[in-house]
Amino acid sequence: METVIQAFVFPGLLYVLLWTVGLFWFFRKFMAPLHKRVGPYFNGPHGSYQTLFDLSKLLTKESITPKGVNPYLFSIMPLLAVITVMLPAAFIPWTESTPVVHTEYGLLALIVLIGIEPFLLFLTGFGSDNKYSFLGGIRVLSQAISMETAFFLAALSPALLFGTLNLEVIVEKSSWSSFAVLIPGFILYFIALLGLLEQPPFNIPDAEQEIVYGFYTEYSGTNYFMLKLAEFVEFMAVFAGVATLFMGAYKGILWDGYSWFFLKMMFVAVVMMTIRAATPRITLKQMLRFSWRYLVPISLLNVAWVMLAKNLFFAGA
Amino acid sequence: MEAIKTLLGKFETEYVEDYKKIWIKAKLVSSDDLTQVAEALKAEGLRSLSTVSPTDFPDTDTIEMNYFFEDLETKRNLWLKCDIPREIQMCEIDSLTPIFPSAQWHEREAFSMFGVKFRNHPDLRPIIISEDYVGKAPYRRDFDWLEHEKDVVKHVQTIVDAFKKEQETNEINLDTDSSETVLNWGPTHPASGPIRLRIHTDGEEIIHIDPDIGYVWRALEHLVTQKDFVGAIVAVERLCFMDNINSMVGYCMAVEEIAGTEITEFAKWMRVLLGETARISSHFMGMGGFFNNLGLHTMGMWNMDMREYFLDFLESYSGARIATASIEPGGVRYGLDMAMLDELQKALDKFDGGIDDVEMIFEKNPTMRIRAREVGILSAEDVHTYGLSGIMARGSGVKTDIRLDEPYAAYDQVEMEYITTSDGTAADRFTMLFRELKQSVKILKQAKKRIEEGVASGEFAPTKDHMVKVPKKLPAGEAISRVEWARGEVLMHLVTEEKAKSPYRLKMRAPSFNHTMMLNMLLEGKTLSDVPLVMGSLYVCQGDLDR
Repeated sequence: METVIQAFVFPGLLYVLLWTVGLFWFFRKFMAPLHKRVGPYFNGPHGSYQTLFDLSKLLTKESITPKGVNPYLFSIMPLLAVITVMLPAAFIPWTESTPVVHTEYGLLALIVLIGIEPFLLFLTGFGSDNKYSFLGGIRVLSQAISMETAFFLAALSPALLFGTLNLEVIVEKSSWSSFAVLIPGFILYFIALLGLLEQPPFNIPDAEQEIVYGFYTEYSGTNYFMLKLAEFVEFMAVFAGVATLFMGAYKGILWDGYSWFFLKMMFVAVVMMTIRAATPRITLKQMLRFSWRYLVPISLLNVAWVMLAKNLFFAGA
Repeated sequence: MEAIKTLLGKFETEYVEDYKKIWIKAKLVSSDDLTQVAEALKAEGLRSLSTVSPTDFPDTDTIEMNYFFEDLETKRNLWLKCDIPREIQMCEIDSLTPIFPSAQWHEREAFSMFGVKFRNHPDLRPIIISEDYVGKAPYRRDFDWLEHEKDVVKHVQTIVDAFKKEQETNEINLDTDSSETVLNWGPTHPASGPIRLRIHTDGEEIIHIDPDIGYVWRALEHLVTQKDFVGAIVAVERLCFMDNINSMVGYCMAVEEIAGTEITEFAKWMRVLLGETARISSHFMGMGGFFNNLGLHTMGMWNMDMREYFLDFLESYSGARIATASIEPGGVRYGLDMAMLDELQKALDKFDGGIDDVEMIFEKNPTMRIRAREVGILSAEDVHTYGLSGIMARGSGVKTDIRLDEPYAAYDQVEMEYITTSDGTAADRFTMLFRELKQSVKILKQAKKRIEEGVASGEFAPTKDHMVKVPKKLPAGEAISRVEWARGEVLMHLVTEEKAKSPYRLKMRAPSFNHTMMLNMLLEGKTLSDVPLVMGSLYVCQGDLDR
């Protein structure tokens, strides 16, 4: 019984869907004043029902499948993408009593499941019979490979500091001092996260002005809804990753609980949106140069720093 | 100027005369001398060819070719004419493209519209017109538009068949194992606007770009001949409706010159006031468009916010926000109510309040600088060779601004100076847009102050002085006028017949035409990501590209 509730309500399907709807609305409403406009306004208090209406409209639209596509890649990949990206929700300790799956290798599972997403998206681009989709897919691949290296290295630094891959133990052991040590890792993780989620300034695979819509080009209706759902659930998974690994998940001042977790995820979302409103996009070559020349070497230096800090400050722990 | 006259003295000419302060007008007896004259002119320093314009005279069975040579540095210009036979088989002249590369597309246009064949042209294909007009020379006086439009379905089928055939064969010569492909960066693309670029790429690297224009062809130059002299302003203003005022000013100046009327001082200052407002509106859109192509929409939104107030002023003056139809031959169309200037003041206050933020966040934006400093580089030599003007020319350090070189309206009394940047990169052109915007606001403030002082002292009567009468039927004659339009230099060549109610021929030379010619040269070897960036920095508007 409890498994059913966990699978379908919290932190399962319903939670993930609610999160997508809420985050979508939050993005639009937060960007609006930065753009000197209002955002969703008419449907519901402050336009909060707008996302529901938009998503339900998408579900009722015709899913056009162009003639020359590869049927497996085109139609099955979006479904696979959604399933893969919903899985990390089972590993994250949302409150003291969850996660759903208790395992020694929570961090590894999180990273792998988040990291496999771009490859599925590339296959969707490859399967559409469209030059622009293919170009978008190639860009996703290049960007994912470069950014994920830094992402993995930054995400592994808490594991090195605390000596375990178990997410519950990492959260339990985290404190203000460990946060201070992990600040470089936090910043690196954040930058790599921008690259992994294809957000400005790294929104190269989604470059509307250059390659129409990248690998999303040929999708419409339910297929498109699936891909967008996958994108937003990935946001949730990555933000939850930040909060768990670096910011101590549900721990907070005065009381512990889920609300602190939520606030931490929102903080990361706010910073991401502000960067989005003020930065144009960079080219593929510049991103590759940035990633391999600066980001990955600094991540390696960060690993060295964490080891040093562990021996100096946490020798007893 | 004397040097040009002595140069022309070596060839057989019908006449050589001074025309306005910095032009010489001349007609050659024989069209075979053209290439030699052109080479001599280029050696003399007139390195830019602004445009090539045929005028069709079926009565005398000739087509008169007009060439406009300019020297951007010493401000000497030559208007050269010669006649060629009108009959299709014999309608030929030597091409000037080997000497002046900027003639390439202008000669293609003359070929498409009038059927003039150019010998030794490197690439004489139709341009602008759609498949169903190819070979029919639609701008000739004896072309029957109504007859042609009767068979619409057949013409649409011709266009579709030609496109499909092109799509089937455009990749035939490419190696199937390589990563080369031909992309249609085409009319249904989020960032292209109504233009199609055939991009031949190798992966993401560009090998060759061939622009295919004509999606917004409204045959404005023919439309003008069907309307009377006042009604023609709605066709002229649609050159690009963002800056509609300055193109109307050019047309009206040509009409007034043929009619011999002099407009009032008040009307001149009103033309400056409205012209600068329209320029500001256009520059706001141009800057927003540049950043939109980089993926950042915030600047476009902020600019729209400030631009709305200027459009409020135009609306209070003329009733329309964008295509205002407010400049008429004889002055400006409506009188001025002083309350309208309060609207303008609101706009200026909003501008002063917001522009520093915009400068700090966007003009100095480091990511934009990183991207835009390396691409789209034009040297000063390119400006002369390809006949560039406006922002493109001044961005590469060439000091040319028609408001200062050949002042019109009240610009001879306006305090302004050349604004240039020296490197000619895309980032420089963006900086130019920004500085020109600020310069326009300064000029606007000067014009507003002058008008307010004039009205207060009784010199201007704002509701009566705005128009003088221009006769409905003009004498035979021709005139050219140049204006500094938002995007560059617009040259209007107007020809009238005796006692006719409509223009006989109006040639509108559009700056975006010369600018789009440069695309292949600027983007060869760059990546796909640079295409929208360079297109945005060239500040083209497909409206005046196609007319």
